[in-house]
Amino acid sequence: MTLRLHPFTALTAAVCAAVVTTAAASWPFSVAVALAAVLLAVRSGVAGRVLAAAAVIVVPLCLSLLVLHGLFFPEGHTVLAQWGPARVTAEGLAFALELGTRTTACVLVFLLFSFTVSVPDLLSALADRRIAPQFGFVLASTLTLLPAVAGRLDRIRQAQETRGMVVRGGLLSRLGTLRLQMVPLVLALMDDAGSRAQALDARGFGNPGPRTSYRDVADPPAQRRFRAAALVLTAAAVVARLVASWPGGAGS
Amino acid sequence: MTAATRTALRARVDAFTFHGESHPALRDAALSVTPGSLTAVLGGSGSGKSTLGKLLAGWLRAGHAGQFRGSLELFGTRLDFHGAPEDPRINPAEWSRRVAFVPQDAAAMLSTVRATVAEELAFGLENRATPRADMLRAVERTAARTGLSGLLDRDPATLSGGELRRLAVGCAVIAEPDILVLDEPLASLDAAGAAQIAALVRSLCGNGTGVVLLSQAADRLAGEATHWTVLDGGTVTAAGTPAQLTGSAELEHVGVLAPGSPASGAGLVAAPGFSAVSPGAAALELCRVGFGYGRPSRRRPDPPPVPRPIQVLRDVDFAVRPGEIVAVTGPNGAGKSTLLRHFNGLLRPSAGDVRVCGRSIAGVPVGTVAASVGLLFQHPRDQLFERTVLREAAFGLRQLFGKADAEDRARAALAAVGLPAAAEALHPAELSSSRQRLLALATVLAREPAVLALDEPTVGLDRHGLERLGKAVAAAAARGTAVVMVTHDLNYARATAHRILELDAGSLREI
Repeated sequence: MTLRLHPFTALTAAVCAAVVTTAAASWPFSVAVALAAVLLAVRSGVAGRVLAAAAVIVVPLCLSLLVLHGLFFPEGHTVLAQWGPARVTAEGLAFALELGTRTTACVLVFLLFSFTVSVPDLLSALADRRIAPQFGFVLASTLTLLPAVAGRLDRIRQAQETRGMVVRGGLLSRLGTLRLQMVPLVLALMDDAGSRAQALDARGFGNPGPRTSYRDVADPPAQRRFRAAALVLTAAAVVARLVASWPGGAGS
Repeated sequence: MTAATRTALRARVDAFTFHGESHPALRDAALSVTPGSLTAVLGGSGSGKSTLGKLLAGWLRAGHAGQFRGSLELFGTRLDFHGAPEDPRINPAEWSRRVAFVPQDAAAMLSTVRATVAEELAFGLENRATPRADMLRAVERTAARTGLSGLLDRDPATLSGGELRRLAVGCAVIAEPDILVLDEPLASLDAAGAAQIAALVRSLCGNGTGVVLLSQAADRLAGEATHWTVLDGGTVTAAGTPAQLTGSAELEHVGVLAPGSPASGAGLVAAPGFSAVSPGAAALELCRVGFGYGRPSRRRPDPPPVPRPIQVLRDVDFAVRPGEIVAVTGPNGAGKSTLLRHFNGLLRPSAGDVRVCGRSIAGVPVGTVAASVGLLFQHPRDQLFERTVLREAAFGLRQLFGKADAEDRARAALAAVGLPAAAEALHPAELSSSRQRLLALATVLAREPAVLALDEPTVGLDRHGLERLGKAVAAAAARGTAVVMVTHDLNYARATAHRILELDAGSLREI
């Protein structure tokens, strides 16, 4: 049995999780949130995509954090190793760990949302709230851009292979073929956009007036209550954090 | 609209010139449409049909897309255009409520952000703030009219070509326009799909919609029109009833396919003699090939594998010898394109083996097999990716023929399909759809493969284009190329192929 979440419920949960994680500023908490996100991704069957996308974003970021704060952290006292001006300090490593886990948790939470949300439901929900459909369209196009680009790239690669371009497994070979595909990709996407614009205009997409929605997205009262509660609790967490770290306050 | 005899739409085009062009794409053309009538605009590729259609329907707007001198009159309200900034402006959304247009490429009609056929149909109504209850009724009614009732919950991205065309027509007629302009509505449809669209056009006319058919074939549907207008080089060269114009010199000159079928058009090149008992090994051989979507395969199939039958090919045994031309027919969605994609390894069989020139291609990269197998894709836009026509034809030739020879061979291939030297520097997207297909054909021919696989090569070609295609295929076969062409056009297959096979329920059988 799966619970069908209203897109705003999922969005609220993602935003609240990210805000609370940031406010908590505690790496065990961040790790717990990240693990929870991974668990949910596995249960929704999107773990592979979420983790692959997260790796692309998080790995370079964590490496740079490690280099920046692990080696050059001015406030660090406990020196673990030293090479000239570069010092590995325990405080620096702790800071990098803190920041790295927090960012990883936030990235995972938002990727989980974007890979599991039903884009048509989200658009319909936005339209219901009288948010400009152009905004919804841009949002939907962004969320569906990656698959569209991947599909287009696949077609270009097939056309090129059909005319003798050999794609081998190696990274260098793949990068070489990717270079050949970039210009065709951009031109093809622009051509698509141009012809689509005429059709969208003709179908009244540019109309300024009110709109209706064919899709009916259920928003059960329980989910509305959950959203309200999540927002209140998140606000409370942020306030608590501010009070706790206020100079002269309870101290953290 | 009470007066059924009143002219619904009257257009006079003194000249329409695209921005950045020196010559008008359309000049001295006039057209009028009455409610409930079927009007056909006939012309060959590049004759200006699509430009006229888009101008009528407000897709090309005066001042916005180009300079327009002339007038448009809709139910008595006349707009005059002088190519000046103070010309009236057309609101495309309001205009297309009255005059709807379905482009040649049906996919271009779709919003791409709707998840189901029903929602795609409703998209235009949503934008006009139609109450939901009315939308539900309109979607149901339109689906019934366009034969989409069973497909309402499908993702539009998974529809076949014929289904997509019906959806595009549905999106256009759901707002009940007074005039519907259809650009090549029957292209690439099988007999059943074409019959459905033709029936839909008849029912629309019966309900009072004025339908304008833009076509390069004077086919049966065009024959039902009350009025024909012949466009040639952007201008009207003849107008009258079908009876007056059938067989006229103007139709002949512009390359409109004669009534009946492409095969009855003059100039088709019959296949060179081929003896079925020709000695020699097969150029292409499929041994007990099986394939199904959704199985582990190196490639993801192009359309997502949602609700199609899992097993597309079963135990297919098939051999083509050098110099032989084989046609493969079958209904839309039977797996004909899937079959062709096995020839060069774009798809790999889940069972059996594919052998090219006596050698199995299992494990051989597509790019390597491509030296022996040339594949023409069903949609030219899937085949073309380069910046200019010449670069397109020359792509990949260096590895085959060396740097010195590559460009000459590319030029020769372009000339062989009738593309003039003046077109060499153009971007492929600037060519008319017929020329795009010929360019795609040139890119395949230039490689002089041992096996030529053509997916629906006749679609979108006018008579001149068909003649070029026929000659090129016959010349390739005469050189010893084995040709396999997938086509829904049985008459064309009969006229040009040595053997015809039908793909049905995953198996090939001779017909």
